[in-house]
Amino acid sequence: MLLDALLDKRLLFLSGKGGVGKSVVGTALALAARDRGKRVLLVEIGSSLEAARYLGAPPSGPRETEVVPGLFTVNLDPARVMDEYVRQVVKIEMLVRRILESPVYHRFFAAAPGLKELMTLGKLLVLAEAHERWSRRAQYDLILVDAPATGHGLSLLKVPVAASAAVPVGPVGHQARRILGLLRDRKKTGLLIVTIPEEMAVVEAVELHRLATAEVGMEAQGVVLNECQERIFSEAEEAQVLRLAAEGASGRLERGIPLAGALRAARRQVRRAKLTRFYQTRLKRTLPLPLVCLPYLFREEIGPEDVRELAERLAAA
Amino acid sequence: MPRRRSPAEAILAALQERRVLVVCGSGGVGKTTTAAALGLMAAIKGRRVLVCTIDPSRRLATSLGLGQLSGKPRALDLRRFAPAEGGSMSAMVLDTKSTFDAIVTRFAPDEAARKRILGNRFYQHVSAALAGSHEYMAMEKLLELSADQRFDLLVLDTPPTRHALDFLDAPDRLMSFLDTSVLRYFLRPYFVAGRLTLKVATRTGAMAFRLIDRFLGLQFLQDLSEFFLAFEGMYDGFKERAARVHALLRAPSSGFVLVAGPSPQALGEALYFHRRLGEKAMPFVAHVVNRVHPDPAQDEGGRKRGGADRSARIDPGLAGRLAEVFLDQQTLARAERRRIDRLEVDLRERPLLVPELEQDVHDLRGLRTVAEALFAGTTAGARARRRAPLHPGGPGA
Repeated sequence: MLLDALLDKRLLFLSGKGGVGKSVVGTALALAARDRGKRVLLVEIGSSLEAARYLGAPPSGPRETEVVPGLFTVNLDPARVMDEYVRQVVKIEMLVRRILESPVYHRFFAAAPGLKELMTLGKLLVLAEAHERWSRRAQYDLILVDAPATGHGLSLLKVPVAASAAVPVGPVGHQARRILGLLRDRKKTGLLIVTIPEEMAVVEAVELHRLATAEVGMEAQGVVLNECQERIFSEAEEAQVLRLAAEGASGRLERGIPLAGALRAARRQVRRAKLTRFYQTRLKRTLPLPLVCLPYLFREEIGPEDVRELAERLAAA
Repeated sequence: MPRRRSPAEAILAALQERRVLVVCGSGGVGKTTTAAALGLMAAIKGRRVLVCTIDPSRRLATSLGLGQLSGKPRALDLRRFAPAEGGSMSAMVLDTKSTFDAIVTRFAPDEAARKRILGNRFYQHVSAALAGSHEYMAMEKLLELSADQRFDLLVLDTPPTRHALDFLDAPDRLMSFLDTSVLRYFLRPYFVAGRLTLKVATRTGAMAFRLIDRFLGLQFLQDLSEFFLAFEGMYDGFKERAARVHALLRAPSSGFVLVAGPSPQALGEALYFHRRLGEKAMPFVAHVVNRVHPDPAQDEGGRKRGGADRSARIDPGLAGRLAEVFLDQQTLARAERRRIDRLEVDLRERPLLVPELEQDVHDLRGLRTVAEALFAGTTAGARARRRAPLHPGGPGA
């Protein structure tokens, strides 16, 4: 259900508190979309390693690359986006090099607040509007943007708002308004909030939802609650676990598994499962959005098979 | 050979001696919580502490259990922790817009200049909203607070790594911008005539300018020119303060605590950041690896043990699930341990490990638990526990 609503969009931003697993969720969602026959572009901003790690593919580069049939990755490094723009406009490589090396160019763009962000969003606009040369089919059915964490993610999205107000006329204002038009286009563009069952992450999720609406005019489509721990012990069992732990019970369950250790582990699991339920309820109550829960993965390291598992969960949601 | 100082001891010493402590790390590793816990610890030990977050996401308030924090320091009630004589703690968040306004008000050469800037349309939007101005203002605020006589220690919570680097580079970037000829072009009324009649010293420079014109348009350049002109007379001040921040971040009275989590990404970033700090000659204090999952096979101590063997009383279904939960957590704990050991080898520096707490930390009490966990192995930690036993079982109880 949520997946259908998301796949309806052309451009989808993922944001949330740092460390909640935006990249894992983004990659899983990209896989799920691709499994439904969509041509998907997964965009990383300034970091090229995450999607690669989860797809078992080489790091994303400045050009779109098909890493799995139907799934492309690209890394939009804001400074490089700017350089690429110069290349497109100037065309003559020798001049391009000289401009890129010129301190005027370099320092101007390094110091001017917001320009790089505007260029990065501009590039997304171009990607979202790209069509195949001979048909009217869009080059990508879905562009998934692994956006920076809440604070910086919002600053990024607010740049066109500020730019269109600060410079109402001229190419910058024009560009900013076009970008803003796309961000606010509820048919084409969406926002997916990623969070985990912890206080600060949930507070940020709620804040992101509010500020995206109030300050950018973007509407969130859903919330993914990552790292959920399901209840695996009944109430009676929980009571037994706590009692035995308090007693300091000894013995062992099986080879290599002391009962005391298993009880310690169980106590933690019970707490986390309780927190999971608590924040599920709170999110349902505070955010009027579809909520999907993904499980905590007890792995040495999250790899491609795990992301595949999450993709299937998203598809079923 | 003298015994090497443990990371906890290094941090404790820094909390007692230094003036500025910068807490850096990647997203979601508990930077804000660590910064607040360190601040609390220093306050309990008798220092007048200000914890300031320059992260645009406002987590500090949540971690302190407060609904809201503003751009002005807010004093916290520490009575229940019985801080040493004189110890206090305040907290604040960076408010980009009001910091910028305050700087304009304070440093503008005269009333007319102040009005011109504050009334500039470009200024009104840029100062409040744009991503880059945040770092510059953080820099200005740092300088202002470091000179504030009300506090002995400033604990600075930074945005996630990449942006923290942006912040650390901000003084150099600003100085380099103010040094170039770029600014001088804007300070001549070329654009006001409505035509771009630049006489740029080099041909490439001229080309770069034409490009900027083509992309940005004349109106934008005019606005920008007006914006820069409005600040005329203040540039030397900006430059001078940027140079002071540059020096402050490298002073022996400052220190950096690098916070990571046990995930491969977070540990990787810690390593990267450590290298960058070295390159910038910024004083490193210690690494903290937060929220390390304890190995359930290991007894954390403090609990009753040696009770009767109850394994026979557990029904097979429950025993199976208990074993599964145990193995799940053990897998995680051991993988983390291996990664942390590798980091230690790469860094040649022992990180301070803080166990994952069972409770979510979002108030002063929770912070106290974190502080205890941070300094569990030191005498100060033991003393802190004795003075106010909050959690008899220690962290994770």
